[in-house]
Amino acid sequence: MDKNFLEIRGLKRTFGSGDTKQEVLRGIDFSVSKGEFCVLLGPSGSGKSTLLNILGGIDSADSGEIIINGDKLADLDEKALTNYRRRHLGYVFQMYNLIPNLNVKENIETGAYLSEKPLDIDELLQILGLFEHRYKLPNQLSGGQQQRVSIGRAIVKNPDILLCDEPTGALDYTTSKEILQLIEQVNQKYGNTVIMVTHNEAIRNMADHIVKLRDGVIRSDIVNTSKISACELEW
Amino acid sequence: MNYGKRPRNPLSKRLWKDIVRDWKRYIMIFLMLVVTIGFVSGMYVANNSMMTTIENNKDLLKLEDGNFEVSETLDAPAVKAIESGEKADVVSVFKQRAYKEAESEIKESVDEAVREKVEEQVRTAIHNKVESEVDKQLAPLAANGGAVPEDMRQKAIDDAFDAAIESSFDDAVSEAFEEAVISDEYKDTLADVTEKAKKEIDKKINEEYGELSDRFELDDDSFKSVPVRLYPLFCHECDESIGQQSTGRIRIYAERNEVDLYDLLDGRAPENENEIIIDRMHADNAQIEIGDTLKVGTTEFTVTGFAAFVDYSTLYENNNDTMFDALTFDVGMTTNDGFDRIKGNTHYKYAFVYNEKPKDTYEEKTFSDNFLKALITQTAVADSEPEITDYIPCYANHAVTFAPNDMGSDKSMGGVLLYILTAVLAFVFAVTISSALEKESTVIGTLRSLGYTKGELIRYYMSAPMIVIFVSAIVGNILGYTVFKKIVVAMYYNSYSLPTYKTIWTPDAFVRTTIVPIILMFVINLAIITRTLKLSPLRFLRRDLKNVKRSKAVRLPRWSFLKRFRLRVFIQNLPNYAMLFVGICFIMLLLSMAVGMPSTLKFYQDSVTDMMFANEQVILTSTEDKDGNEITTNTKGAEKFSIGSLDLRTDSFTEEVSVYGINKSSNYIKLDDELFGNADRDMTLVYISKAYSEKYNVHEGDTITLSEQYEHKDYTWKVYGVYDYSAGVAVFMPNDTFNEVFDRDEKDFSGYMSDESVTDIDEEYIAARLTSDDITKLARQLDHSMGSYMLYFQYVCVIVACIIIYLLTKIIIEKNEVSIAMTKILGYTDKEIASLYLITTGVVVLISELAALVIGYKTMEFFWKTIMMKLGGWFDFVMLPSGFVKEFLLVFAAYVIIAAIDFVRIKRVPKTLALKNVE
Repeated sequence: MDKNFLEIRGLKRTFGSGDTKQEVLRGIDFSVSKGEFCVLLGPSGSGKSTLLNILGGIDSADSGEIIINGDKLADLDEKALTNYRRRHLGYVFQMYNLIPNLNVKENIETGAYLSEKPLDIDELLQILGLFEHRYKLPNQLSGGQQQRVSIGRAIVKNPDILLCDEPTGALDYTTSKEILQLIEQVNQKYGNTVIMVTHNEAIRNMADHIVKLRDGVIRSDIVNTSKISACELEW
Repeated sequence: MNYGKRPRNPLSKRLWKDIVRDWKRYIMIFLMLVVTIGFVSGMYVANNSMMTTIENNKDLLKLEDGNFEVSETLDAPAVKAIESGEKADVVSVFKQRAYKEAESEIKESVDEAVREKVEEQVRTAIHNKVESEVDKQLAPLAANGGAVPEDMRQKAIDDAFDAAIESSFDDAVSEAFEEAVISDEYKDTLADVTEKAKKEIDKKINEEYGELSDRFELDDDSFKSVPVRLYPLFCHECDESIGQQSTGRIRIYAERNEVDLYDLLDGRAPENENEIIIDRMHADNAQIEIGDTLKVGTTEFTVTGFAAFVDYSTLYENNNDTMFDALTFDVGMTTNDGFDRIKGNTHYKYAFVYNEKPKDTYEEKTFSDNFLKALITQTAVADSEPEITDYIPCYANHAVTFAPNDMGSDKSMGGVLLYILTAVLAFVFAVTISSALEKESTVIGTLRSLGYTKGELIRYYMSAPMIVIFVSAIVGNILGYTVFKKIVVAMYYNSYSLPTYKTIWTPDAFVRTTIVPIILMFVINLAIITRTLKLSPLRFLRRDLKNVKRSKAVRLPRWSFLKRFRLRVFIQNLPNYAMLFVGICFIMLLLSMAVGMPSTLKFYQDSVTDMMFANEQVILTSTEDKDGNEITTNTKGAEKFSIGSLDLRTDSFTEEVSVYGINKSSNYIKLDDELFGNADRDMTLVYISKAYSEKYNVHEGDTITLSEQYEHKDYTWKVYGVYDYSAGVAVFMPNDTFNEVFDRDEKDFSGYMSDESVTDIDEEYIAARLTSDDITKLARQLDHSMGSYMLYFQYVCVIVACIIIYLLTKIIIEKNEVSIAMTKILGYTDKEIASLYLITTGVVVLISELAALVIGYKTMEFFWKTIMMKLGGWFDFVMLPSGFVKEFLLVFAAYVIIAAIDFVRIKRVPKTLALKNVE
C-alpha cells in the first residue's frame, strides 16, 4: 500500500473577515494510503466538510498543500482541477442530488460518461442492489436507494479516491448500515481510497484510518487496528 | 473487475426529457417565437416578393416612362417630330406662318388702298372732262347773251357725269389700277408695309416665345434631345354602373398590346366588342363579378376578367389628387372595336418610352424635362396645333409610385415590431434560464464536483433554448413563406391593384427573422449561463448563487399574518417580480403602439384644421391669365403667397420641405418685421415650423441646408425663429426674399391663401388646392397602411401579455412549490394559499401596470419619433385618457386569465412534495 498516496500539509482555511472571521482549518497535516478507508470524524463545525471539499478541489485552502500521488493540487488551475476531479475523484453527498428526470441507470451513466474506461454498469447495478430499479426515476426510490444511485454515479468511473460527505446523514439506522456496507464493499472490490466525513462515532470502527478533528485542528490521527465490518456496527 | 463502454452523454438524453417535462413553457415560447418570426418573415417575404414583382413588371409589362394628353389626335408628322425628341424651331416656324399670312393680307390692303386712290382719280378726271364738255356746249349760248343759270349748268354736268360713270368708269378704273400696280410707287409701298408688318410680327412672336421660353426654359443650353417612342393610349372617361347602381367613374382604354400592359388576375381578356376587363381592386370594392353587365356611359359591356394594369397599381384618378380612390374610380380595357362603341369624352393620351433608359432618378428628371421641351415645341409647330392638357413623367405618377413607396414604409414599421418582440423574447428566455439554473443548483454542483466541465454544462443548458429558437425560426420561416405571407399579401391586395406576384427567396427576411434572433438568443443565454456557471461547484451545492447576500431578514410592519406572508412572498420573489415588471413594460409599449397609433392619427386628422394657418391654399399654374392680366380673387381675406419645395436630406431619409414666401401684411403668418428689412445679410433669415424644429432638433440661430429636388443646388439659411405651426415641415420667409432666392420676378407669387374657399378663379389656372385633406395625407396614409393591423395587434398584445405573465408566474409558483405543499400540510385551503401568492402577484401586476403605462407611453413617444424620422411630415404621439384605460384593462384581463390557470396550478401541487424534498 502506498503510504503517502495523499498528503495534506499545513492546510489552513479561514471564512469571513474582521469580526466575522472564522478559522475553520488551522493547519491540518496527515496522509492517506492508497486503498485506505479513512474516516474524518468530528462534531459540526469542526472543519471536516471544508477539509473534504478542499481535497475534492471544489474549495481552496488559504495555505498549506495537498499532494496526491506526487501532484500538488495548488499548482492546478481551474481547468486542471476539473480534469483532476474528472479522472481521480468520486463524490457522494449527504443529499443525493440526482437528476430528477433521468432514471437510475441514466443517473449512473452521468458518472460513467466522465471516464474513458467506466465499470460495467449492469454489474455495478447488481452490486448496488438496484438492477431491478434501474429504470425508475429518483422520486420512485427510497432515500437509501437514492443514495445507492449517488454512490453508483460516483464509483462507476472507478475513481482513485471516493469522497463521501455524511453519506448516511439523512438516512435511518438500517439504511445507513446498508450504505456503509456498500461503501465498504466498493472499497474492497475496486480498491478505491475512501475518505468519509461523518460525525457518527460508530463509523470509525469500520475505518482503516481515523482522523478526528475539533475546531479546525486534528485531535487524533490513528490507524485502526481493530477494524470491524460495517454490518457489525452498532449505534 | 469488469469494465463497460463509455455511454453516450446522458445529458443529451436528459435534454429531450427536459423539453418534454417543461413542454408548456417551451410550447409558449415556441408559439410566441413562431408567430413573431412567422409574421415578420411573412411581411418581409410578401414585401420583397411584391416589390420585386412590381419592379420586374416594369420591363415585363412595358411600363411607360410617362404620358401626356393633347387636345386632339396627333398626325403622323407630329408623332414623328415628337419621337425625335428634338426641340422644334418654334420662332422660325411661327414667323414663316405669320409672314405668309401677313403677306397676302398686306397685298390685299395695299391693293384696296390703290384701288380707292385710282377710283378717286378716275372719278375726278371724268368730272373734269364732263364739266369742260358741258361748258364748251354752253359757251355759244353765253356768247349770244343768253346767260345760263348756274343750277342748270350744274344739272347738265351731273347728268353728263352720271352717264359717263356708267359707261366708262369701271374700264377706266381697271385700266388705271393695272397701270398703278406695275408702277414703282406701288412696289415701294408694298415693300414698305410688308417690312413694317414683319417687324411687328417679329416683335410679337419674340415676346410670346420669350415668355414661353422663360417658363419652360426652352433655350436652356444643357438641352439634349431625348428620342422616344410614342404609343397612343386613348381613353374614354364615363360613369360606371351595374344595373341601376352607380359604381363610380371608369377610364376605359382600347386594347393594350405594346405598352402599359396588364396582369390578368381572373377571367380572360376581352375578345369581342361587347367585352371588358376592369381593375381587380375596384371590382372587389364595388362587388363586381365576372359575367356582370357593366354600363359605361350608355354602352353596355360584359365583364370577362379582372386585371392589374401596370400603370395603375394605385387607383389615382388624377395625379393631383391627394389620395387614391379604389372605391369610386375604375380602369378598364376593351377591344379596339369595343372602344369605338363608346361615345364621347375621348382623351387623347399618349404614352412615351425613352429609347435609351435613364441611369438614375436625376437622369430621369433631366430626360423628362428635356422631353417636355421637345413636346411643347413640337406640338406648337404641328399643323393641327394640338394643345397639351396633361404631362406626367412616370417617376411623378402617383398611380405608379404610391404603392411601392407605401410598402417600403410598412417594412420599416415591421422592423421596429420585430426588434421590440425579439427583445421581449430574449428577456423571457433570460428569466427562464436564470430560474432553471437556480432550480438545478445542487445538480449542477454535483456534476461539477464529479468533473463535468463548465463547457459541457454550458452546452447542455444552451441546447434547449437554442433548439427552441432554431426550430421556431425554421417553422416561423416556413409559415412566413406560406401562411403569413398570404395574410400580408392579402392586406396589400386590399389596398392596391397589384399584380400576381412570385414568391422569392428573401435574404433580408432570413437574416432579420432567423440569424438575428438566433444570435440574440445565443448571446443572451451564453452571457447568463456563463456568468452563473463561473461560480464554484461548492456554491452550487450550497444553492448560493447570489452575489449579494442579505445579512438580516427584512423587518416587516405589524400587519396581519397573511399580509406579512404576502409581503414575504414579494420580497422572496423580488427578482422575478422585477422581471414581471419589465415584461409588463414591454407589453405596455406594444399596447401603446396598438392603442396610441390609431388615436394619434385620429387626433391629428381631427385637429389639423386648428393647426393650419389658412383653410385653403390655392396654387396657380400661372399668375397671369391668357390676356396677360394678373389673376386675382375677391375672396375675403385672400392674400398672395409663394410656395416651393426643397429636399432636406438626412442619412436615412429625404424630407420634402415646403418653403413659403409670405407678405409683410399677412394676416395668416406673421413674420417679424426685421426679416422684411433691406439690410445686407451674410445669410438669408428664415422661420422654420415647430414641426421642423422638433423633428430635426433645429433651433433659433442654427443654420439649415436644403437642396433642390432634382438639381445639384443647395440653399443655406439661418433660422431666425420657430413658427408655431405643427401641421408640416416648413420654412417661412418674406415673399421678396423668396423671389430673390429662387431667382423669380420681383412681385411674383404662387397663389392665394384664404380661410374662405376661393371660387372666383377659373379652374384652368389652378394647379392645386391645399386643404386640410392634403395636410392630413400622411396621417391617412399611415392609418390606411397600419390602422387595420392595430386592432389585431391589440389582441396579439393580450396574448403576449398572457404568455409573459404565465411564464413568470410559473417560475414564482415552481419556486414556492415546497412552501405551497407545506402550507397545505399545515391545513391551509387551496383558496387561502392561492390568495397568498395570487394576490401578491395581482398587486405587483396592478402597480407594474400603472408604472408601465407611463414608461410604455414615454418609450413609444421615442419610437414614434424614430418612425416619423423615416417618413415625410411630423406630428406628436397622442394617447387619449380612454387609451390608457383600455391598455390597463387589456393587460389586467390577461392577468385574470393567467391567475385562473395559476389557481389550478397551485391546487395541483402535491402535499408529498414537502415531504420528499427534505433538503
